[in-house]
Amino acid sequence: MKDLNIVSTQATPLIETDSNRGVVYMEGDSYPENSFEFYSELVAWVTTYLKSNDRPMTVELALLYLNTSSIKVLMDIFDELEEHHQKGRDVTVNWRYDVDNERVAELAEEFKEDCSFAFNIIGQE
Amino acid sequence: MSVPDLFDLRKRFDNEKILLCFNGPISRSLIEEIGNALRNYMKSEQASPADALDVFAVYIELTQNIRHYALASKLLGADTATVVVSYRDGHYHVSAGNIVRQEDGQRLMDQVVMLAALDKVGLKKIYKEQLRKPRDVGATSGAGLGLIDIARKASAPVVPTLQLLDNGTSYFSLSVQI
Repeated sequence: MKDLNIVSTQATPLIETDSNRGVVYMEGDSYPENSFEFYSELVAWVTTYLKSNDRPMTVELALLYLNTSSIKVLMDIFDELEEHHQKGRDVTVNWRYDVDNERVAELAEEFKEDCSFAFNIIGQE
Repeated sequence: MSVPDLFDLRKRFDNEKILLCFNGPISRSLIEEIGNALRNYMKSEQASPADALDVFAVYIELTQNIRHYALASKLLGADTATVVVSYRDGHYHVSAGNIVRQEDGQRLMDQVVMLAALDKVGLKKIYKEQLRKPRDVGATSGAGLGLIDIARKASAPVVPTLQLLDNGTSYFSLSVQI
């Protein structure tokens, strides 16, 4: 399975995947105009990974600002993870943020409300 | 030859405590660059990270809404945006406007008025409902969340205006207090 290694730009985050370890890593801001297009590769990667095995999956996030269409895409990904978690898969999301910026924690918290898998919101000094 | 009275314009900006103003055809890269300037400015003014993020978020949703509308409606001149960010009475204000079709303007007015009547709990409920709706097949953007998100970030009801113009168009604007 081909892994992703997408460099960040001003309006899009760094995205890396590791299919051996079942990890997705994203860092930075996300406000592309065409979020659904931009994230199509990641959405496809997640679907393929989940279909091809039943190993654990971890999403490591250090995202700051997301526009609403990026929020929609991320919610769709979390929904897919939730579906697989309901069927017994081990799923974890770790969202790290700077404790000075409570807005990021609030954003992460709203995603967490709709997920029953392990969702850790980790404030860092 | 008449020259623009720049000093007069500047006095008006100063009087109205305008930090940033743009008027012209807005592109993806301009949205990013102006947004970047806005962030740097807020950092230099030592705005709280929460304020800075809210102002930036509202700016992005307003301007991207205009871009999406201009692309979807194919209305001539709809991509010419007026954007103003000001700081007065202890609050940041973000405003943006553009030309829309009259019927679209009315629909937007109705939506903003409907949202203005909701409290934070009501706004969150409608936001989550919208987040759960399957998006239109083929749409590359526009999750329908923008106006709700703006209303949630505002510290007072969002103020819309609609001014009738010729040829079945109107000038629509939104002013948002953070």
